[in-house]
Amino acid sequence: MVSFSRRRLAQMLGASLLPIGGVIAVVRSTGYELPLVRRGRLVVLSASEFSVLDAVARRMCAAPAELVAPSVDDVDVVGFIDRFVATMNETIRTDLFRFLSVLEQLCPLLIGSVTRFSKLDPQSQDSVLAKLEAHDDGLLRGAFSGLKALIFMGYYRDPLTWPLLRYDGPTIARAAGGP
Amino acid sequence: MAVDAVVVGTGAGGSIALRELARAGLNVVALEEGDYLTSADFTQREDEMIPRLFQDQGGRTTDDLAIRILQGRGVGGSTVHNTNLCKRVPDEILDLWSTKYRVSGVTPAEMRPHFERIESDLSVSLIPTEARNRNNDILRLGVEALGWRGGQLKHNRVGCRGSGFCELGCVYNAKQNALKIVLPQAEEAGAKICALVRATKIVHDGCEVKGLVAEATDDEGRVTATLTFRTRVVVLAASAIGSAALAQKSFVPDPSHLLGKGLRIHPGAVVAGWFVDDVVGDKGIPQSYECTEHLSFEEGSDKRAWITTAFAHPIGTACVLPGFGAAHMRAMREYRKYAVLTAMLHDESSGEVYVGRDGRPKMRYEMNAADRKGLAKGLHACAEILFAAGAREVVIPGIPPVRLRSAKELSSVDYSFVRPAGLPLTAVHPMGTMRMGDDRRTSVVTSEGEHHHLRGLFVADGSLFPTSLGGPPQIGIYSFSHHIAPHAVARARRV
Repeated sequence: MVSFSRRRLAQMLGASLLPIGGVIAVVRSTGYELPLVRRGRLVVLSASEFSVLDAVARRMCAAPAELVAPSVDDVDVVGFIDRFVATMNETIRTDLFRFLSVLEQLCPLLIGSVTRFSKLDPQSQDSVLAKLEAHDDGLLRGAFSGLKALIFMGYYRDPLTWPLLRYDGPTIARAAGGP
Repeated sequence: MAVDAVVVGTGAGGSIALRELARAGLNVVALEEGDYLTSADFTQREDEMIPRLFQDQGGRTTDDLAIRILQGRGVGGSTVHNTNLCKRVPDEILDLWSTKYRVSGVTPAEMRPHFERIESDLSVSLIPTEARNRNNDILRLGVEALGWRGGQLKHNRVGCRGSGFCELGCVYNAKQNALKIVLPQAEEAGAKICALVRATKIVHDGCEVKGLVAEATDDEGRVTATLTFRTRVVVLAASAIGSAALAQKSFVPDPSHLLGKGLRIHPGAVVAGWFVDDVVGDKGIPQSYECTEHLSFEEGSDKRAWITTAFAHPIGTACVLPGFGAAHMRAMREYRKYAVLTAMLHDESSGEVYVGRDGRPKMRYEMNAADRKGLAKGLHACAEILFAAGAREVVIPGIPPVRLRSAKELSSVDYSFVRPAGLPLTAVHPMGTMRMGDDRRTSVVTSEGEHHHLRGLFVADGSLFPTSLGGPPQIGIYSFSHHIAPHAVARARRV
């Protein structure tokens, strides 16, 4: 019975629910508070979008125990994404925000939880992300992939992360001109 | 504003059309929706250059999000970010177009002067073997160990410093491309280039072109002015995506219902091999060697994969490596030890370009079963090459990822992950949405590139190609534009 329900829920999380992500966001967008340092400083992200991205970034960029690596705060992953998303085409930006709503409100159902993604413990968050990456629905896998690209762009763009990879970076020094 | 001709797009196709029209003494203007960036603007940083040099800030995908389409934006188009590979359209493909697709004037003998002219303009030469980096040498070693067909590639660079940042624009201005060579020649002949101007509508009466409407924008895409050009000749060179979408938005006659159809994109996927010694694939000329053992130009063949190297900088690598979190970071730590190959599919699947409700182009594309099988064989071959060259581990980043310790394990790989969004797929060569040919029932434009039903509308980009090429298309696009341009000149002079 449980497995049937979960399969059904997984199917429901497919493409057909992506468009209503925006509606869900409106219904369940209370209870989010920005860290003091972010208040009044975000370009386009709402408090709920910030919270989801922050939670996803912390899991995606989690370092192995044996390694000291820059944190997502050290390289300001979500701050970068906020500025980057502000320059995006409006249609793509809207799709991204809808997907964040689906991830926050519905994707925890993939592991049988009704808790918002951003409030889950790290292990459960990893389980949700792993389910999403391997989901039967191609659109959800594709959306996960897009989100992963955004977060890793925010992380590995920063020279602080380059020594981890022994990456030398640009051969020329020029002032940054990007977002 | 009244002009003799307007060229939409400034990449390989647009630049040549613009130059030839200007050299014929015509009053011609080119419109480019992206910015005018030069070597002084490039920073060798992925986060800064990808959003500026690629459509949709590098995030363009097919509508099912399954395939990322990296397509150039800005003066010079995709020639600014490509890896400068120079291959002519294969004779077998030209013969196929001449016979089966009834395209006149494009036999190998007829196209040879165009290829020669373009190769001379762009200083095309064989990449010196001493410029081959270790990633490419691993490909060569593997190919030779297996006794497969392969060879050194040609490029259009002069004065290359081997920095390895080709895909982010060359800060050393070594690329002999549309931006550096052809567009300045066009300007010298009197052509005007308008950057940050987006063509929005071809004006016509159903029989002939009357003009073109465009929007000038600021660098964030906000419209600052509307421009109207009175002209009898419009040359579309905005790629197989942009050109078809503009024609659709302009309600160009389409009795054959082929406008926007026949989209080919050469989808490709990577395979990584871990080596004991550093590979340092991000340094040097990114692609200098190819394997053609699994590539046939015969229609219906199961040999569809063109194999070359595909090393990326950190962000690109992070996106392709499977998973996330601690395991992903451990894999990223091995960045210097990976050699990366790609199998690019000579695709026969047919997608389409259409205009979304927001007025932007969208792409519908799904690989058919034969192409999925062809790509799987290509990935398999990449893994074989890597093991033959000494890789200790090979990773195919499917979902789930495949990790192999020896070539023997290859026989047990289940390639069912080769499905939409089942592995990271990238495409950089959109083609075929306004195909050429003599028969107006089976093509959109004539063999001279002029629309079958709308006099004065020409196409001079990859949209023309009736099939995919199975290799990098830039020389083909430059050369077909060179083939089309005299006909556009003649039309402009007649009206």
